[in-house]
Amino acid sequence: MECRELTDRAINRLLGEADAAESEDFERHLAGCSRCAAGLAGIEDTWEALGADGDASVTPEFRSRTLALLRDEVDRRRIREFRPRTGTLRILARAAALFVAAAAGFAVARGGFRSVGPAPIGSSSAKGVARSAPDLAANPRLSNVAYRTDPDGRVGIEFDATTRHSVVGRPDDPEVSTLLAYLLSRNSETAGEKSRAIELVSGHYGAGAGAASPEIVHALAATLKRDRNPGVRRKAAEALASFQSSPEVRTALLEALANDPNPGVRLVAVEALAASAREAPDPKTIQSLREKAVDPQENGFVRARAASALKAIDL
Amino acid sequence: MIEDRVLLERIRGGDASGAEELFERYAPALLRFASRMLSNRETAEEVTQEVFVKVISRAHQYDGRAAVSSWLFAIAANACRDRRRRDHRANVVPLEAVAELAARGQGAEARLDGKQRRDAVRRALQGLSEEQREALVLARYHELPYSEIARILGISVGAVKTRIFRAVETLKARFSEGETVWNAVN
Repeated sequence: MECRELTDRAINRLLGEADAAESEDFERHLAGCSRCAAGLAGIEDTWEALGADGDASVTPEFRSRTLALLRDEVDRRRIREFRPRTGTLRILARAAALFVAAAAGFAVARGGFRSVGPAPIGSSSAKGVARSAPDLAANPRLSNVAYRTDPDGRVGIEFDATTRHSVVGRPDDPEVSTLLAYLLSRNSETAGEKSRAIELVSGHYGAGAGAASPEIVHALAATLKRDRNPGVRRKAAEALASFQSSPEVRTALLEALANDPNPGVRLVAVEALAASAREAPDPKTIQSLREKAVDPQENGFVRARAASALKAIDL
Repeated sequence: MIEDRVLLERIRGGDASGAEELFERYAPALLRFASRMLSNRETAEEVTQEVFVKVISRAHQYDGRAAVSSWLFAIAANACRDRRRRDHRANVVPLEAVAELAARGQGAEARLDGKQRRDAVRRALQGLSEEQREALVLARYHELPYSEIARILGISVGAVKTRIFRAVETLKARFSEGETVWNAVN
């Protein structure tokens, strides 16, 4: 061993990385070199001194907060997997619908059957299926809800009340709109059913198909405010974020940013508000973003997003 | 005990218990690592949370070539680098701060209390380059072998040794300059 190798050898020894031969060689050198012996003492002292930096520990508060976040995150990803149609499936569905329409047209031309009004989506000729929604004022419990869409932008909603119902129409048809709002705000048996309803309205209105009806906005705002499942609340926030900005949409998102206990939901709210403020700076939104950007209690992601949003807004 | 890989499979299957158990096993070490890399408790907690959220979203990307613990540390190291890049706030404290602390504590007051010692060491660590600090922290505080550190940081064993060597040389020189701090932390 040579003197210039001292630090390397000393660190190897401190880390337990020196083999027997290296250790023996090192000891032999130290025995005959007082300068390296003193140098080794300095390195060992430095190593020891680093121990004065105590370990950070996981506090109960941090633990419970993080575990809740992780549970929410897993739930959220599970709900995302419920997404009914991927892009490829949608294309296939459209192709299938075109084929069915062509076949039906051919049959009509041949006088095979008469079509009365728009054909309902999918098979609907089963006996005992009601073609309209039940009286929603009676607050019926709707179960086994299924949604379908067609290339013409219509949706089919089937559910069990006292009998099986099937309602078909465009999302902005009053009956469909009311039924969707009802499903969004109440009576969906599972978070998955509710999420599907949210995706349906989000996919329709978020794609620029006109403004969502006030009752749908109101239902989503109520879901965002009250639903116990953070995954559903997040979906509601995403749906509202995809709509044309309006005072009610903004108010719902501002309230979520201020009060929702889940940082994932607040993150969606802050992003939506930032996007809205970039187009039309609104004093309440700006103020809320400013508060979030410096709030030491706020989650770091939300805080950082609020800060970067403010930078991007032309104030 | 259930293997870490099985916990990742649970996460992939949408079972939150996998993420919870991984947190219980590794959050203390990852928080300590992030805390030393970022020198701010609050930011370290956020980054530790971020690591576990990333584990959920990337569970399917784990290829089994390294231990799950190494994979977690690699995510944490990247997250700390990203965070430091994003936050331009003064996380890097110049080494002069250590000397300054030494100058203030001359004579009878030379012996610093525990908090001051901790602060002095923390400042000295923060004065190292990010690359040196990563390697030193993993070696000194997490007692990981060179090969594991190399895997985590994505560098060669030789580069790990060089980084630790330089870090120790720098710290030794700085502690020797500030005699008071040197005494104080010993």
